[in-house]
Amino acid sequence: MDTLPDCNPLAILEALLFVSEAPTPLEQIEEVLEGHSKAEVARLLADLQERCRREDRGVCLVEVAGGYRLVTKPELAPWVQRLRGSKPVRLSRAALETLAIIAYKQPITKPEVEAIRGVMIDGVLKTLVERDLIRVLGRKPEVGRPMLYGTSRAFLEYFGFKDLSELPTLKEIEALAPNGARKEAADEALDETRKPE
Amino acid sequence: MSYRVRLEMFEGPLDLLLYLIQVNEIDIYDIPIATITEEYLECLSRMQELDLEVAGEFLVLAATLIHIKSKMLIPAEEADGEQAPEEDPRKELVERLLGYKRFKEAAMTLEGFESRQQLLYARPTDPSPPTAEGPLEVSLSELLRAFAAIMQRAAEASPLEITPEAISVGERMVALLDRLTLESPLPFSALFGGAGTRPLLIATFLALLELLRRGLIRARQSNPEGEITVYRIMEASEGGDGHPA
Repeated sequence: MDTLPDCNPLAILEALLFVSEAPTPLEQIEEVLEGHSKAEVARLLADLQERCRREDRGVCLVEVAGGYRLVTKPELAPWVQRLRGSKPVRLSRAALETLAIIAYKQPITKPEVEAIRGVMIDGVLKTLVERDLIRVLGRKPEVGRPMLYGTSRAFLEYFGFKDLSELPTLKEIEALAPNGARKEAADEALDETRKPE
Repeated sequence: MSYRVRLEMFEGPLDLLLYLIQVNEIDIYDIPIATITEEYLECLSRMQELDLEVAGEFLVLAATLIHIKSKMLIPAEEADGEQAPEEDPRKELVERLLGYKRFKEAAMTLEGFESRQQLLYARPTDPSPPTAEGPLEVSLSELLRAFAAIMQRAAEASPLEITPEAISVGERMVALLDRLTLESPLPFSALFGGAGTRPLLIATFLALLELLRRGLIRARQSNPEGEITVYRIMEASEGGDGHPA
């Protein structure tokens, strides 16, 4: 084992985050940095985050899907899009509805989702699996042993959640929605729907 | 009814029904079934006039509505001949509508997070080194040879087979992708691990070929006689999902 040169830990941290393709968990940073406690790493992260806030910096540090990553600042998106020559593709409404049901009711089977949406979801489900937004969690111990679906880590990344507990509760959503008259009855039914991780 | 209704506007029969309830400013807990059924059926016939194929799902809900309507026409005294107080025939429908509505709203909230998040660009996943001849770097004959070896082993493994289990290639594709998402690369043989039945192995192999064809996975071999390794390809591209926005 050769010894590493003495470098500024903040610089190392930035380099690590720069090359990472996925959000890097704090533990992993701690492991690579070596010799820095978890609290120190957390302080370094906060420090870098603060420095990125400066107006003349193009990237910021975000915590998402159980890790940290560098992303471009939202107000710079038009330039990035111009460089890429494209805007990101958004999910269809069918995909979003299916995803919402799976997110809140996981683990859930295909027929159960179909019962809620009132339509078949074979195509959408395939899309969501292909895009890695959902994954098979197992099989339900009942006739036919249908597959149980749940959200993936990519789901958290896609929507910018740290973990599933950041998903707004259905109650919160309903409170925001227009014409939500007479909600009391609905609220009872929804309590068991909520699934913290 | 002056509004124009287009089928593609709706994500399904419940969505259409919710829309009708909304534009008519109807209390969802007290739906005038006769009126709403009429409107619903009119929407369907208008779609048919426009030569749009009305999906079976829409017709199923039409039948449900008509059924509820007929139930409500029967005077309460006659209806509850043997049973104690009959519950509102609309109850189940209302619950389904409320259930659907909740997730429709949740979907809109997710959409908000999506658009906020899509302004943040992260480092894209490095694509695996591009290759000249496309995703199938191991020839089909080599894959078949490797699979034949696995089938040979399977034959001796399970002499007794009673319960036929329906296996779909689609399900196997999902399972394979899932497996490779968790752990990639994996050796070819590991994908057929466990005591698989022959139909299961065959379905898995077909699923593997299909995934290769679609470019979602990739098979490689370091040398002609070596073990074949299967990789998951993480797509950076956001290919269309077959649903217009």
